[in-house]
Amino acid sequence: MPPAEAALAADGLTKRYGAVRALEELSLRVEQGEVFGFLGPNGAGKTTTIRLLLGLLAPSGGRATVLGQPVTLGGAAWRSAVGYLPGEVAFWPQLSGERTLDFLARLSRREPADRPRLLDRLGLDAATLRRPVRTYSDGMRQKLGIVQALQCSPRLAFLDEPTKGLDPLVQQAFYEIVADARRRGTTVFVSSHVLTEVQRLCDRVAMLRAGRLVFAGDVADLRRSERRRVTASFSADVDAHAFAHFGELVASAPREIVLLVPQEELPALVARLGMLPLADLVVEAPSLEEAFLERYR
Amino acid sequence: MSIGTLIAHLWRRHRGALLLLVAGNAVFHWAITRVVPAASESGLVHDLLAMLPAPVRVLIGEDLVANLSARGFLAFGWVHPFPLLLLGVWAVRVSAGSLAAEVGRGTMDLIASRPVARSAQVAAAALAVVAGLTLIASAGWGGTALGLQTRVLEGVRARDLLPVAGMALLLFTSAGSVALFVSAVCREGGTAVSWGAGLLAGSYVLDYLARVWSAIAFLRPLSLFRYYEPQRILREGIASQDVAVLACVGAMGLVLAFAAFARRDL
Repeated sequence: MPPAEAALAADGLTKRYGAVRALEELSLRVEQGEVFGFLGPNGAGKTTTIRLLLGLLAPSGGRATVLGQPVTLGGAAWRSAVGYLPGEVAFWPQLSGERTLDFLARLSRREPADRPRLLDRLGLDAATLRRPVRTYSDGMRQKLGIVQALQCSPRLAFLDEPTKGLDPLVQQAFYEIVADARRRGTTVFVSSHVLTEVQRLCDRVAMLRAGRLVFAGDVADLRRSERRRVTASFSADVDAHAFAHFGELVASAPREIVLLVPQEELPALVARLGMLPLADLVVEAPSLEEAFLERYR
Repeated sequence: MSIGTLIAHLWRRHRGALLLLVAGNAVFHWAITRVVPAASESGLVHDLLAMLPAPVRVLIGEDLVANLSARGFLAFGWVHPFPLLLLGVWAVRVSAGSLAAEVGRGTMDLIASRPVARSAQVAAAALAVVAGLTLIASAGWGGTALGLQTRVLEGVRARDLLPVAGMALLLFTSAGSVALFVSAVCREGGTAVSWGAGLLAGSYVLDYLARVWSAIAFLRPLSLFRYYEPQRILREGIASQDVAVLACVGAMGLVLAFAAFARRDL
């Protein structure tokens, strides 16, 4: 059976600005119905990637498909099935929220069927929507941005830093919106700095560093692939340096050692520790944040 | 469909300014009909104009000074800097505001990520520029017509001024399409306004200097204003060569705007 059509696929996607390499040879595949996290520090190329996938930028090399259609500059029809929340969302200050949503829905050529539900969840009431957007706070603008991206029930949503400026209660509401979208089969591509958010929302993640992909896979795989933090306490003094070959010795005291150990070294380490007067042993899987930092060290 | 939606959007954003420009041009041309010297005063006004320095006489029209008439005076209303400014403001404002300003503000992302062809965005901007210019120029002619309803000037009919209004529309349509090309390549609205307004003002100044300074007279054909002379239009009718030049510049600006905007990064 042929593999199902990917929601989006990039093959060697590259963007250069003169000598500056904003994105280098990115190859990526996101399946339909996935919530995909896109991680990386500022300037890593996350927003450039999204803009290339939307056809807002012309690639310097490589190609991409979105919903099975090749990405080109201009007005391809697949865009009617795509929602986009820019990282720095901006609106027309003199237009009301309602007019803004109506205008953007008309351009999408789809009924904004999900708008009432989204407005309700995010707490944007009718009175607020009648006001010009220039009177909105940053948080309200961000909520309006989320609504415009998702109001027409897109098959694929690109959300660039979606929880920026939202208070914790609204963030919670946003997570429920994404969970709901996932249940209905929407593919969500989330760029974020907030690791707990990605850990909570996403099935798979990709990590970018200086325009290059450094990891793509399951969140669980990412954590699994990182070194474990092993803290061993002893009832007698031990020579900490005898363990250095198992991994990286982070801290040592006469009766305690802390090591970062690759997963495959764990059995041998545990066997070695068992020969010593072991009092306590703690093996910790890295948090996503630690995995992230480890990748960018 | 997208073009209609985009034009409606531009109308919502610029309607306040358009109404002011329309009203301003109508009132200005109506006021001109009020101040046209009566036949009994024309000798005195002619003497006063003849005393002006030569460069100023060039600015208001040598023909007007030499053969002061009500028709010539009304034609002067169409080269006065005020109505030219009103038409120029619209041409540059909408051209810059519909492409470069959207890119600079970040709102272009919301439009361009939807199924809207880039050519539709340029077409909508061009149509909005022309529609607004038509309204402003028509309002100017309407002001003249209204004024002539209440003040009868011998030998002057409002419809004589229609070709002048038409050429003013063509002149600023050409200027607007050049401004649209500038907007299609700029990243900020302010930059596009500066370049668009600068090119328009430069063209006006070049035409004026080339008329008063014979050493650079050969540069005059480079100015769009060379092809717009209301007093000559009233005297001899519209020159097809002038129409051709302005139409070609307009078409070239539009083609370049389409081509540049279709290929650029947003």
